[in-house]
Amino acid sequence: MTHGHPLTLTPKLAPSLPNLTSRAEFESFREEAERQWSSYSTPDAWVVTVGLDSSSIGKGAGDVLARVREQLAGTDAVVRQASGNGANWMEPWVEIKRPGQPPIVYANIEPSDVPDLLADRLGHRAIGVIGDAPYGDIPPLQELPFFKLQKRILLRNVGVIDPESIEDAIARGAYSGYMKVLFDLSQDEVIEEVTRANLRGRGGAGFPAGIKWASGKRARARPKYVVCNSHEGEPNVYKDRRIHEGDPHRLLEGILIACVAVGADIGYNYIGGEYPLAIQRFRKAAADAERLGLIGKNVLGSGKDVGLRIRAGGGAYICGEGSALMYSIMGVRGQPRTKPPRSVEEGLWKRPTVANNSETLANIPDIVNNGGDWYASMGTGKSTGTKLVTVMGPVKRMGLVEVEMGTPFRRVIEDIWGGMKDGHTFKGVQTGGISAGPLLEQHLDVPLDFDSMAEYGGMLGSGGFVVYDDTTCAVDYARYMMAFNRYESCSKCVPCRLGNPAIIEIIDRIRLGRGSEADLALIERTSKHIIELSLCGLGQVAPMPLLGMMQKHHEEFLEHVRDGVCRCGTCPIESRVTAVAAD
Amino acid sequence: MSHPSSQTIDLDVVREMMSHITYADHQEGQELILFALQEINEHFGWVSLEAAEIVADHLGTTVNRVYALLTFYADFRTAPRGDNFMLVCHGMSCYVAGSMRLVQSLRDRHGVSDGETTADGALTIQVVDGCLGICDRAPLVKLNQEFHGELTVETLNDLIGRLRLATSSGGAR
Repeated sequence: MTHGHPLTLTPKLAPSLPNLTSRAEFESFREEAERQWSSYSTPDAWVVTVGLDSSSIGKGAGDVLARVREQLAGTDAVVRQASGNGANWMEPWVEIKRPGQPPIVYANIEPSDVPDLLADRLGHRAIGVIGDAPYGDIPPLQELPFFKLQKRILLRNVGVIDPESIEDAIARGAYSGYMKVLFDLSQDEVIEEVTRANLRGRGGAGFPAGIKWASGKRARARPKYVVCNSHEGEPNVYKDRRIHEGDPHRLLEGILIACVAVGADIGYNYIGGEYPLAIQRFRKAAADAERLGLIGKNVLGSGKDVGLRIRAGGGAYICGEGSALMYSIMGVRGQPRTKPPRSVEEGLWKRPTVANNSETLANIPDIVNNGGDWYASMGTGKSTGTKLVTVMGPVKRMGLVEVEMGTPFRRVIEDIWGGMKDGHTFKGVQTGGISAGPLLEQHLDVPLDFDSMAEYGGMLGSGGFVVYDDTTCAVDYARYMMAFNRYESCSKCVPCRLGNPAIIEIIDRIRLGRGSEADLALIERTSKHIIELSLCGLGQVAPMPLLGMMQKHHEEFLEHVRDGVCRCGTCPIESRVTAVAAD
Repeated sequence: MSHPSSQTIDLDVVREMMSHITYADHQEGQELILFALQEINEHFGWVSLEAAEIVADHLGTTVNRVYALLTFYADFRTAPRGDNFMLVCHGMSCYVAGSMRLVQSLRDRHGVSDGETTADGALTIQVVDGCLGICDRAPLVKLNQEFHGELTVETLNDLIGRLRLATSSGGAR
């Protein structure tokens, strides 16, 4: 796969950045950045912002920005880039703040629309105003159904700041938590705040970050490491990409705080190789921060050393598993190992390693700034804070949102995503990526949190959901997910390596109309072997989506094996007679 | 810009690339094997055995070790690609949106399956069983450096048709 990262290890540095050596110098840098930032919102300001990230660039946002630059050359207008704001359905969008007006957002702008847009002839395409009050008949953007139910903490700056500008990020509060951790708080106080926040791991397992950090700090071997897991191979999840492309400094600050809090020498960020722009923007962020003096020896004269290394993945799903990821960093095949020892005892290079998901670490700056109690006040008792969620499939609006934990799932699908597209009928929603079963219509009132979905055989996981309609055959869909697991199995242990292909053989028999009810029992028996005997998280959950599908759409499986009928017409079923004759 | 279609790998360029990759100790050297291979794969579209030997020499390891990585990670190719390279995303959003039809059409109309190159050498396809992460535009392919989303069998065929035209008139990319 092509990555597009530059030949040299360090990207081009912004030559204007000073090297800061004390907290006071940082504060004056911040004041200057804030002055610059507030100049964008003075009444006379004329600012045009275009949202650029991997999905909007593919829709022509880069050309839109180029046309805007070309048209406004030689004027007083400031032309900026931001990243997409999560609302993929309105991309490419352009935000225009004209003198004497609030910023107005225009949706779905093509490059050819730019002249009309800038001449203010596209008033009917305006969909929202930034701010609390409507402007004329244009409502505030945050009142739109897509935004109204959201609680944007992690996404606060996404689509607002230029992700390639450290000044923008600092003006909006980046590294203020890091300053506290460097100068005001002890390591234990930081860990205490994270523990009080009850921040649970966002990668899917939901392990409390505070406990992990405390045992990381207790570990005595040196050096110690922090590893940020930004390898989201899980299909249809792109929350980490959104953070990297939209607000890389937030994540970087989280990693740096984790390093100081647990006393780690080096923080690693392992980014999935599928995301060239995310890698590029994070590299830029890290290079700028290093240039400013926020990474390195004796940071800002605090006496603390923090190092950072960025590593890119090679397209292996299994490298999202903690131990496999560390092997991959060490330059060997990413294959999981047995635990214990846990990675906080023996992780990267056999040293104590605190491994967190990037969404988890991106929460840290706000927890340090506002306190653990503030964070714990959001969400439900056991699942605090917010969660980044994607819902894909035939739904009306596309995007990625941040909702408070405990929001009813039905409201998320129906209000934020606008329900099913016209002409599509809801059949179910696959949960937990490919690690759990689906939910049906009657389960949708379940709150979105770590524990509630398990009751119905679902899982929050990393927050990726796929809605499927009645044209999707449950058997075929289950086969797809099993084929994914077969392909992505690292081949280390036998139950997963041989069990998954064996199950696919059985499903293929069923899809051809040659199955029998005994095959369903055989699937369950084989699944049990895989679940109980596999070594890592991938193997132990590999048959879960299939079992979930079998349970939720039992009738459909029975129709396949008993009557030789695929109600969706997807499966290549031969009629009973020919099947018998062929045998 | 990269040349995903190089049939041969200029080893002097590989050595030049390696000279930019410096490391403080053996540990960091090992961490950079994957990175070095990614750079070569990105630049030439594949990694040859000779290039792998240079990487091994530069980073103080064996070629066996390097080849073990090349054959484990899905992003790497150990044989040259066609003039153009297309990743067909087969993640779950793309599956639900009909990526299987795209894969079938590539096989039926253009005679290429996962990992194969068309007879005229114009196009190599690779089906991504993971996810390219641009799920909101499913079903999606990445052709050379660009993403093309919301595809149907017809728009995919148009895309390939335009590509063939551009390639045969000598103006590839």
